[in-house]
Amino acid sequence: MSEHPVTLVVNNRRYDLEVGGRPGDLQPTHTLSYTLRETLGLTGTKIGCDKGECGACTVLLEGEPVLSCLILTVECHGKKITTIEGLEDPQTGKLDPIQQSFIDSGAFQCGFCTPGMIMSVKALFAGNPSPTGQEIREALSGHYCRCMSHYHVLEAVAGSVPKAGGTDE
Amino acid sequence: MRSFQHINVFTLEEAVSVLKDSGGKAQVIAGGTDIIGVLKEQILPDYPEILLNIKAIPDLDYIKKDHEGLRIGPLAKLAGLAKSPAVREKYGALAQAARSVGSPQIRNMATIGGNLCQETRCWYYRYPHSIGGRLLCLRKGSGSCLAVNGDNRYHALFDARRCFAACPSDVAVALLLLGAEINILGIGGKRTVYLQDFFHPLGNALEPGEIIGGIHIPTPPVGAKQQFLKFTLRKPIDFAVVSAAALIVLDGGICTEARIALGAVAPGPRRFPEAENFLKGKRLETNVLEKAAGIALEGAKPLSKNGYKIEIAKTLISRALSACLENESFNH
Ligand SMILES: Cc1cc2nc3c(=O)[nH]c(=O)nc-3n(C[C@@H](O)[C@@H](O)[C@H](O)COP(=O)(O)OP(=O)(O)OC[C@H]3O[C@@H](n4cnc5c(N)ncnc54)[C@H](O)[C@@H]3O)c2cc1C
Ligand code: SF4
Ligand code: FES
Ligand code: FES
Repeated sequence: MSEHPVTLVVNNRRYDLEVGGRPGDLQPTHTLSYTLRETLGLTGTKIGCDKGECGACTVLLEGEPVLSCLILTVECHGKKITTIEGLEDPQTGKLDPIQQSFIDSGAFQCGFCTPGMIMSVKALFAGNPSPTGQEIREALSGHYCRCMSHYHVLEAVAGSVPKAGGTDE
Repeated sequence: MRSFQHINVFTLEEAVSVLKDSGGKAQVIAGGTDIIGVLKEQILPDYPEILLNIKAIPDLDYIKKDHEGLRIGPLAKLAGLAKSPAVREKYGALAQAARSVGSPQIRNMATIGGNLCQETRCWYYRYPHSIGGRLLCLRKGSGSCLAVNGDNRYHALFDARRCFAACPSDVAVALLLLGAEINILGIGGKRTVYLQDFFHPLGNALEPGEIIGGIHIPTPPVGAKQQFLKFTLRKPIDFAVVSAAALIVLDGGICTEARIALGAVAPGPRRFPEAENFLKGKRLETNVLEKAAGIALEGAKPLSKNGYKIEIAKTLISRALSACLENESFNH
């Protein structure tokens, strides 16, 4: 039974959420995207389609990019979650190089798709510090940008590759 | 989402017993990529009172080689199948099919068991309840098929009589090609069905209270070459308009074994014995492959708007067969 409290570790901070029917409680029907935004106030994670098609809600669950709109929060008990808010350096407030590169390249217009894209890139670089252009496009293939910033995104990502010099086609 | 109770189970036996005790009010959730959408949009008149999380069961995501072939746990993720050296080495069509599903994030969540049991994508069936009310049809147990006289551009070409929905699973096409068996667990014990018997015109072989406990694929014939191909409208993330898989064994340039499977053209994935037999004993020149593709599609019964799928299916079959001959992927 999942009536015990649910513990999430979001951006290295621990949250214990009571499951129940009172206002503010976690309900079994809550998706992770809902909990992050409405319960924890982490509104950097966006909800676009709410059905798995756009990638805006992408967060890292135990380091892997997943769609938080299709995950029940009660199923994340004990799990480590990273959202866009977790990327800046907590001491200095300095942005992650990927975030900085998106800004420097103007890789967005409205910015709605940006947090999700950056989370997928973060996971890509963690497993593969010198990805090819093809690997970058593959990692981003589950993200839609309604503002047509795709080419700037590819430029931003290429500009933030940790170990430049990976083969490009 | 409308409320439900959420229960974690820790063994398959426990899952089966909760399903039984619930008297049809409980439903399994695995990766959640299909069922969460179904529940959010309330496409079905029935709504589960209990969601049974089988992800809490340990060690059900195995991919194991043994002397009889490959054993796959129901919770094996599609991302893992696409990457697994054991799958890629001898079961390449399965790795390609898993790789073709959805997006990287979906593949990190989606399980093989869920892929086989996902609900149909017929757009009448999937119509969201929040926009003017769900559409009832024969598959939902009330009324007749809306697609047969409606917009059926993505519907079935074969074997459909009352419901014309096509099976959306890509993984099932590769599993059919490779002769997989599905191990089913229920309150009465275990049983095994071949993949070709798993899909039914209005659903699948699972009886109420039964779940998929594992999948077994026999070792493919020595020297077999395989290829899975999929035609979609939006390349990186979409269901198949048609998918095809082929397996070929050659001996001295002569075809000794041939298998052809198509997806998204029937209520389940489908093999084409006449076309396969036509290839056996022949040298596989291009015109022979094209002839086989033509034979495969001879029995197609297109509806008003899906005749174009016949040409796509023929092309995919010839391409998958010739990719086997080149032993080279057309996918990427
Ligand atoms: C945007 C998007 C794109 C997609 N593209 C594709 C695609 O290209 N190709 C494709 O094939 N699919 C596609 N899918 C469907 C995708 O949901 C499935 O591929 C996925 O594998 C389902 O697995 P899951 O573990 O998430 O299933 P869940 O959603 O957890 O479950 C699906 C169904 O299976 C049942 N179930 C799950 N496990 C078992 C079990 N062990 N025994 C009995 N019943 C079980 C559940 O009760 C439920 O009814 C797509 C989905 C989305 C949202
Ligand atoms: S094809 Fe099947 S699911 Fe679609 S409307 Fe007809 S009966 Fe319903
Ligand atoms: S909001 Fe989750 S994929 Fe669009
Ligand atoms: S910048 Fe607007 S959706 Fe991508």
